[in-house]
Amino acid sequence: MERRISTATVADAADSTIPTSAWGYRPAAFGFDEAFESDASPRPAFSELFAALSSLGEDEFSRRWTQAQRVIRDNGITYNVYGDPRGTDRPWQLDPLPLILGAREWAVLERGLEQRGRLLDAVLTDLYGPGRLLSGGVFPPELVLENPGFLRPLHDVPVVRGARLHLYAADVARGADGQFWVLGDRTQAPSGAGYALENRIVVSRMLPEVFRDCRVERLAPFFRTLRDGLAELSPRNVDTPRIVLLTPGPYNETYFEHAYLARYLGFTLVEGGDLTVRDRAVHLKTLGGLQRVDVILRRLDDTYADPLSLRSDSSLGIAGLVHAVRAGNVTVANALGSGLLEAPALLGFLPAACRALLGEELFLPSVPTYWCGEPEACKRVLARLPELVIKPAIPAVNSHEPVFGGELSRAELAELEQRIRARPGLYVAQERLGLSTAPAWNGERLTPRHLSLRAFLCRRGQGGFEVMPGGLTRVASSKDSLVVSMQRGGNSKDSWVLSSGEPLELSLLRAPGQKVDIVRSGGDLPSRVADNLFWIGRYIERAETTTRLLRSLLTRRVDDAEGRAPEVGALLVALEDALELVRGTLTRTGDGLDAELARILVSAHPSRTPSASVAAAYRAAGVVRERLSVDTWRVLGELHRLVEHARSQSDLALADALEVAASLLLGFSAFSGLATENMTHGPGWRFADIGRRIERGCFMVRLLKSTLVSGDDAAVLDAVLETADSAITYRSRYPGIVAHEAVLDLLLTDETNPRSVVYQLSALEEHVNRLPRAGRTPLLAPESKTVLRALSVVRLAELERWARADPQGRRANLDEALAELEAALPLLADQLTLSYLAHAEESFTLGGTEARS
Amino acid sequence: MRYLVRHTTSYEYSEPVSICHNEARLVPRQTPHQRPLVSRLVVEPSTPTLTSDTDYFGNVVHFFTLEEAHVRLSVSAISEVDLEPFEPPALLLSPAWDGVRDRIRRDRSPEGLGALELTLDSPHVRRADPLIDYASQSFAPGRPLLDAVFELTRRIHADFAYVPGSTTIATPIDRVLESRRGVCQDFAHLQIGMLRSLGIPARYVSGYVHNTPPPGRPCLVGADASHAWLSAWCPGFGFVDFDPTNGSIPSDEHVTLAWGRDFSDTSPLRGVILGGGQHLVRVGVEVARA
Repeated sequence: MERRISTATVADAADSTIPTSAWGYRPAAFGFDEAFESDASPRPAFSELFAALSSLGEDEFSRRWTQAQRVIRDNGITYNVYGDPRGTDRPWQLDPLPLILGAREWAVLERGLEQRGRLLDAVLTDLYGPGRLLSGGVFPPELVLENPGFLRPLHDVPVVRGARLHLYAADVARGADGQFWVLGDRTQAPSGAGYALENRIVVSRMLPEVFRDCRVERLAPFFRTLRDGLAELSPRNVDTPRIVLLTPGPYNETYFEHAYLARYLGFTLVEGGDLTVRDRAVHLKTLGGLQRVDVILRRLDDTYADPLSLRSDSSLGIAGLVHAVRAGNVTVANALGSGLLEAPALLGFLPAACRALLGEELFLPSVPTYWCGEPEACKRVLARLPELVIKPAIPAVNSHEPVFGGELSRAELAELEQRIRARPGLYVAQERLGLSTAPAWNGERLTPRHLSLRAFLCRRGQGGFEVMPGGLTRVASSKDSLVVSMQRGGNSKDSWVLSSGEPLELSLLRAPGQKVDIVRSGGDLPSRVADNLFWIGRYIERAETTTRLLRSLLTRRVDDAEGRAPEVGALLVALEDALELVRGTLTRTGDGLDAELARILVSAHPSRTPSASVAAAYRAAGVVRERLSVDTWRVLGELHRLVEHARSQSDLALADALEVAASLLLGFSAFSGLATENMTHGPGWRFADIGRRIERGCFMVRLLKSTLVSGDDAAVLDAVLETADSAITYRSRYPGIVAHEAVLDLLLTDETNPRSVVYQLSALEEHVNRLPRAGRTPLLAPESKTVLRALSVVRLAELERWARADPQGRRANLDEALAELEAALPLLADQLTLSYLAHAEESFTLGGTEARS
Repeated sequence: MRYLVRHTTSYEYSEPVSICHNEARLVPRQTPHQRPLVSRLVVEPSTPTLTSDTDYFGNVVHFFTLEEAHVRLSVSAISEVDLEPFEPPALLLSPAWDGVRDRIRRDRSPEGLGALELTLDSPHVRRADPLIDYASQSFAPGRPLLDAVFELTRRIHADFAYVPGSTTIATPIDRVLESRRGVCQDFAHLQIGMLRSLGIPARYVSGYVHNTPPPGRPCLVGADASHAWLSAWCPGFGFVDFDPTNGSIPSDEHVTLAWGRDFSDTSPLRGVILGGGQHLVRVGVEVARA
């Protein structure tokens, strides 16, 4: 029998008579309310909050909350809900009222959690080693040996300092009597610690006075322990071990958190494809070549971690990882195979395991859980089926939603009983726990909601576990619901633990005075990240140049509804070329043309429209968002929302379309400003700029080719200058004169014009010569040769000859030169991809295809 | 009896493979009746990365990586083994199967746990009632375990058609039970599933059979390819091999490579490649008397 601990009756202060208003909050009629005693007086931990709220007033509270919600949206704090038609990026759901726990009740919970962390670590060590729990009859063998989470390739494999559990989470809740119970353990890759941190940032900014006055324990020391603890587990004895955070990728429900934590902890965010195993050690593929990885903090499930030795259908893992672990060359946190302990069936056997392994009584009980594989327990469960909750014993074997016996009809109960009798070992039954409630803000008033707290623990470098003071409180979505899940539309809360002394102020930055090795970021950028930055640069530039072209056309349509102006025809050809459409596809005149131009501006088809390019840039940015500043991400988000909104409107009038184009262009210049001024000019920035320069170069060459190779119309030249954003410079240099030669000089060969072709090529030359692998051999790299060749075409230009038209009005020499440039730029992109970014090949598993007799 | 075994797997790719990682279980095991003499693993293109390791079930696992781009890969395992002929076990002297079943449920000694593990579900083998329905006529209460197991082996051999190509590695055993057709791997999985459903420990064995029968005996099915059979565990007898594909108890013609819960633990060659496009695989097995 597990010992219960009583914490709720431990009041933190004697004074419980503070007459505070809680805006008419009424706790639920039954059960334990976190904020109020059963006699309706506020609990001491909450009294400060309620006092502050009443002086703040509901209006001010509402106003601040609106502001805070905007921060959540602008910072892109999201949670992906599988199968949600609203798209994968759903804004994070946060309730502004924190859950508050007093120092003394927290100390009791903390002690229980710390013991549980040590226990589960010891259980893992035993099951992957001597197996005393099995031979001593403490655990039923099938719960381990038939559990797909028991990874045989990791059995008897030593790990650094014997540490298997590094970051552990327990879902705890209070029953009606106010006692804490553990609902479940998360031992392989617990999520939520990053969201807890983000919740803290949002709520402490929204209620700074309250936060300060309440003396809330800070979260930063916990993350420092986590970071330092992981660094100490490097198998190599190096000063700064390389630690990576391994994510399944942007489609994972908690991807935001992976990116956020990686940035906060200073780890490199990687996907499986960024890592490769050589000589039984894990390496990161970077621009500068392969770099050894010492510690992997993984957010990938056990069985997906290595398609060679574990699940062969995994495309997310790292082939050979298990062999690297077996060779002792890398530390994986949590150790591969730790998911084993998430099986609910083990909960009931932990008190005995605690006695067997630690020689202690289990202090913090699990919700009473009965495994039906034991005949006695099964009999008792079947007798009380309507009172219990039935869950899969090992979810990886037999996954289904929890079944509440009380909600079943008689026929359904009989059917359930039959299923349990057929394979009793597949089921566990748990007592129903009437989760406690706390006030939640529904936009108008405070209402009670059921909640559970996900508490986090991390290993200390010297052993033992540290508990995060706080955690992620999750709240049921409706008043009566007892299901607490972010996947099911639940809400979350910041969780405050009140300090008994002064809270420790700490930043994750090192203390001043400590010796620091100066580092200039360089070759350690993962190739995949560089690839995405390259494409962000290209897509944004593509969006910008096509928008400019469309704007030139739209403004001319305002003046010339008849469609007789010759430059409209020329610009339409340029548009078709830029969009890679067959010439003549677009309508040439009339109202149909206006509608078509507006549609191209906001439509995702064809694939090179401004709107499609913004969407593509946004997608690419989502994959590397930990590399982008919050402002950059915000600008991209705004652009994305702008095109989405414009697309949703039917029949965009000409004026509206011009308005959209103007807003887009403003957004693009904000983006380039941020890129130039706010990004370190390291390889990441370089690749983004290379993408942008290649795209702009392509566009300019095409524009000139579409409009200037034949024809002699001054109006066309004018339109081209405007589209190339060079009209003002031109008019100040050549007032009143429009000549081909002068236009060509400004747009092709003028090194000072940031829109000219030569300007793009010079910038590209500088970039390729400064990439990490440039200059390693005395010979020019292929990409350097390509740029040099293209540059000499423009630098040796014979403008006078190129500008001269033959009797048919064609400029053949210009055409030839432009054709050469048009081929060079895509070639350069391919060469750079081959040298630096080629890694995106798909992997396949072979085997099981042997001739079978 | 001394055998020379050569097992070659070669892959050809339509596009270069930039890197591949491989795991091989191609070295014959030491058993009471089998003594490996020499074993060599030859990988082409050659690689300095070959390392060897022992897995959970004691099989030798080779791990190697090809880090240079390649369009073909061939892996040959060449082994020489001595097989000692032995008398078939005295089936009728084995203990009653139901007594063994009950004892295994309670035994927590290392040997007992090892046996219990082989009565549980594994990736390719799930216990199920239809498997018991088929098997139970051979398992009258009190019948000697090995005698019952061998009868089941012969029934499967008689009732099921050996049809190459009728199944894939993904075909579940309940489908094999229904269709009554399959190949060695299916029959091994099927009988393992039946034994486990009854509570009798059984493991999967991968290996080869020799293809020239002694005078007067028919050629064994499964020659010139990888073969698979099973071992049942019986107190006092240890693991005893049964070959449902041939309806026999293996003696000195079965070369044992590796064992585990089912095929997934014993896969002779597994690899993960990057790139490669389409691929063509060829497998050749020769077992010759040395």
